[in-house]
Amino acid sequence: MTHQALLSEKNLQKVSTKQRIVKIIVQVMLYTFLCVMALIVVFPFYWMIISSLKSTVEYRLPVPTLFPQKIMWGNYVEAFSAANLGRLFINTVIVGVVSTLLSLVITVLSAFAFARLEFKGKNALFGALLATMMIPGELFTITNYITVNNFGWLDTYTVLIVPFLVSIFYIYLLRQNFMQIPNELYLAAKVDGTGDFKYLCKVMIPLSLPTLISITILKMMGAWNSYVWPRLVTKSEEMRLITNGLRDAFTDMSGQANIPVQMAAVAVVSFPLFLVFIFLRKYIMKGVSRSGIKG
Amino acid sequence: MVESKHKWKAWLYLAPAIVLLLIFTVWPIINTVRIAFLDGYNMLGAVGGETYEFGIKNFTDVLDEYSGFKEALINTLLLTVVTVPLSTILALLIAVCLNSIRPLQRFLQTIFFLPYVTNSIAIGMVFEAMFNIIGLSPDAASAESWGIINNIIGLFGMDPVNWINVNSGYWPNFWVMVIYIVWNALPFKILILLGGLQSINKQYYDAAKVDSTPRARVFTKITVPLLSPMLAYVVITGFIGGFKEYSSIVGIFGDDMKAVGTDHSLNTMVGYIYDALGSNEGRASAAALILFAIIFVVTMINLYVSKKKTHF
Amino acid sequence: MKKILSILLAVAMLLSMFALVACDKGNQGNQGNEGNEGNNGTDGKPAGMASYDVPAVGYDGSAVTVVFYHSMGAKLQAVLNTYIPEFNKLYPNITIEHSSMGDYDGVRDQIKTQLTAGAQPNIAYCYPDHVALYNVTKKVIPLNNFIDSTIEVTDAEGNKTVLGLTEEQKADFIEGYYKEGAAFDTVGTMYTLPMSKSTEALYYNKTFFEKNGLSVPTTWDEMEAVCARIKEIDPACVPLGYDSEANWFITMCEQYGSPYTSLDKNDHFQFNNETNRGFVKKFNEWFRKGYVTTEEIYGSYTSGLFTATEGQRCYMVIGSTGGASYQTPPTVDGQPLFETGMATPPQVNPAAPKVISQGPSLCLFDSDNPQEVVASWLFMKFLTTNVSFQAEFSMASGYAPVIKSVQENPTYQAWLDKASGYNNLTALSVKLALSQSDAYFVSPAFNGSSKARDEVGILMQTALVKTGDVDSAIEKLFKDAVGKCNFSIK
Repeated sequence: MTHQALLSEKNLQKVSTKQRIVKIIVQVMLYTFLCVMALIVVFPFYWMIISSLKSTVEYRLPVPTLFPQKIMWGNYVEAFSAANLGRLFINTVIVGVVSTLLSLVITVLSAFAFARLEFKGKNALFGALLATMMIPGELFTITNYITVNNFGWLDTYTVLIVPFLVSIFYIYLLRQNFMQIPNELYLAAKVDGTGDFKYLCKVMIPLSLPTLISITILKMMGAWNSYVWPRLVTKSEEMRLITNGLRDAFTDMSGQANIPVQMAAVAVVSFPLFLVFIFLRKYIMKGVSRSGIKG
Repeated sequence: MVESKHKWKAWLYLAPAIVLLLIFTVWPIINTVRIAFLDGYNMLGAVGGETYEFGIKNFTDVLDEYSGFKEALINTLLLTVVTVPLSTILALLIAVCLNSIRPLQRFLQTIFFLPYVTNSIAIGMVFEAMFNIIGLSPDAASAESWGIINNIIGLFGMDPVNWINVNSGYWPNFWVMVIYIVWNALPFKILILLGGLQSINKQYYDAAKVDSTPRARVFTKITVPLLSPMLAYVVITGFIGGFKEYSSIVGIFGDDMKAVGTDHSLNTMVGYIYDALGSNEGRASAAALILFAIIFVVTMINLYVSKKKTHF
Repeated sequence: MKKILSILLAVAMLLSMFALVACDKGNQGNQGNEGNEGNNGTDGKPAGMASYDVPAVGYDGSAVTVVFYHSMGAKLQAVLNTYIPEFNKLYPNITIEHSSMGDYDGVRDQIKTQLTAGAQPNIAYCYPDHVALYNVTKKVIPLNNFIDSTIEVTDAEGNKTVLGLTEEQKADFIEGYYKEGAAFDTVGTMYTLPMSKSTEALYYNKTFFEKNGLSVPTTWDEMEAVCARIKEIDPACVPLGYDSEANWFITMCEQYGSPYTSLDKNDHFQFNNETNRGFVKKFNEWFRKGYVTTEEIYGSYTSGLFTATEGQRCYMVIGSTGGASYQTPPTVDGQPLFETGMATPPQVNPAAPKVISQGPSLCLFDSDNPQEVVASWLFMKFLTTNVSFQAEFSMASGYAPVIKSVQENPTYQAWLDKASGYNNLTALSVKLALSQSDAYFVSPAFNGSSKARDEVGILMQTALVKTGDVDSAIEKLFKDAVGKCNFSIK
């Protein structure tokens, strides 16, 4: 399937009418499939948006409406006015950017070691790291809380950033990507006398750019949406992150969530992330062939 | 000489990760193991000065008539075995299709990313709205609203199914969970596989083009093998994630982890751990270790298979 | 090189192990203190019944920060923020830092984790079940010595007041709410003071009732008869919606005077008995006749059924007074379609009514600095006994105030007078909540009481929809529920 665009460029003159029809049918099927899947996948997002525009009464209707009866822009006004958005936003950006950068460095270094360098116990160590993914993380929370408390890290940026810098999930992902890169390149570089680090920076990283961008997006998302840990380790308002401020602000009565306003808040918060994705997306799709690096 | 320098360097590359892991992952795991062997350990109780004896009661507790462990284990295994292949195949198809189209590519890609910025509460609400039957009469013959899915089924002349409501069956419940989990898993897998596809050197395709290889052959002989590290990644992490499934079920069936009026529990292993976390961390830790053992075995099998099949 | 690193790793592991051993030794050291309920070292509490030694100087005026966790939304926080300066006029050196943890469970989870590291807040919103959980650590402050304290404190305005509660203040609390603070043991240790409360009420379609000459049921027998009548008038309807299955079960136990749970450590879960199986069976019959539904069974809030303008509907709802605004009748062109009436829910014995008490209380946590505890007590006392704060908080939240004198406050009276079954259900519900204040009951709170609540809720909804051999199904459900409760605390 992937090659048909290429097919259409050069072999067009050879393609008979029959093949052409087949090609069109394939294209139609392709688009139908993608559009149907897209509809299914996008439905919750649509739901989030319409819910954010409903009144609480309408939201609680037994038979949910597919479009708000009366559009409540006021929910967004309330979402903006209720929380100290400025401070929360700055905090989140600081934590998000710093932890993404540091995390990328750690991930790249570790993935490189696992993918290209030879050392004894490599496989055992890698297996052990994978194994740590297998224990539900909820069990770690209390112990880690006690640890950071002993370090005196509560209520600092450090505690929001450092504990989650290492993700086996990403190291593994990048290692797999590094392994896609032909070994011959590495051996050739060795023969040329190129150092490991230089090779990593000049060859591996550019070749893995799509995956690195994916990791950046995922990590950003994580920082942006993290809720339980930041709430646990920050006491003062100045250190709070955006999800905490927003989620906690929109309860009516004594603790019942006002979901439409909450949804409006979530939509507002999601918007910068959406922009980040739009901005980075082209790098994912640029791919290797067009980023100027030739094997 | 070069070799030994190498080995030293490898650890240097790994140092930052290892230091942080020792503090924030290995230490909590050691603590978990310790707690698992203290009978009935309760963290708050320990703060209050209570002591707990060393023993294996936390592990034998799973055999208790009322523990609900067996059901949780079966549910988890079934869900994982069904959802991982399903979501991987779908994600692969979508990624390959997305990669091969030109018009609308950017637009569709953006659409497939949207679930990332969708709040999880919204996802739960959608499922509620789609499968929920409202005002079902006690004899299950009539209802106020049959829900979107049943309406669609009705278009094909089929009878409505009681998916998640009062007295619904295990299998309808099960398939709703499968759909939810696959749905949840898709965007991530698509993103990863798309990134992987983009990293494949275009020269391979150029070569295929010159040979005018049929497209099915290109897919099985070039795309899949070259993507195999990423596929292995998606499958292995999918299994690990699948065994830790929990929040999706709460999203549909609520904290009770079962459909109203039914006697079958839809609880999972992590649900079992959660139940115990509040009052009995010892039991929670023991269950986590059992879960760990299961995932470990499955992952080892996965790694073994992928070593044989993966083309690096 | 690799060897050195692996040795380093091994050393790190060994060190961790030593730390473990050290921890265990620490625990053993504590063993000698077992049985001394209030003794955990720092504050020199006496052995025996839980108590807290209030510093003899009372509050010495030192600068302290009080951390307060709650689940208030922006609107309620605004009310709180206007009263903190009032409090600071009296005690300028006490800084109040408050933050919302989203919801009650959020508050609980946060505090639970912080207690393990000794980093808990000073004051928190709480439900009795939560306090029972926290108090496993013995770090919840017993309030008796504070309440009874006669130590004089001088505030910044020069007024001398007692640190404790005066007789008037004690009597001013609505008794049912105040008693909740002592639901934790049999000797009357107070752990909480009520903050703001809600209860359950019967909402009914007053217009429909008047048109059809129906009278509002006061007993369950009358309720059955009314349901039967409504079914005749509108066969497609479900006459009654009950929002919370767990509340229903627990309230029925209380009304029948039959056991639910007890503080007896060896026999906590006593709800599997003849009477309870009896009422569950009766309601199962109701369900099968189409008289009743619940939130879980219906698949959505029953307020939706109550306010439905087309299709299926219900004419009565038993639900929280905190959610009164959701029972506001729907309008067409600004005209309400009916009037909502409110009444005390049906009773087994209307002469001695029983309704459940809900809504947050406040509890205090221990701290290394006794002055922090005293300052927290002062703030807690301020929140629960300040008439204008209680009045404003009630108006903003729709929850009932916990002190009687609020009702004499003119602003508050004016607000209550605006109560209407057409467009001001909030005030109407508070009025009702205040009027049934003699009827409140609380269930015993212990480690496992929240599990009991969960299980009876599941039992109730499952039992209602059973068909076929209902008796044996109900018997099994009761047995399983008790079994699961016992397993959870095993």
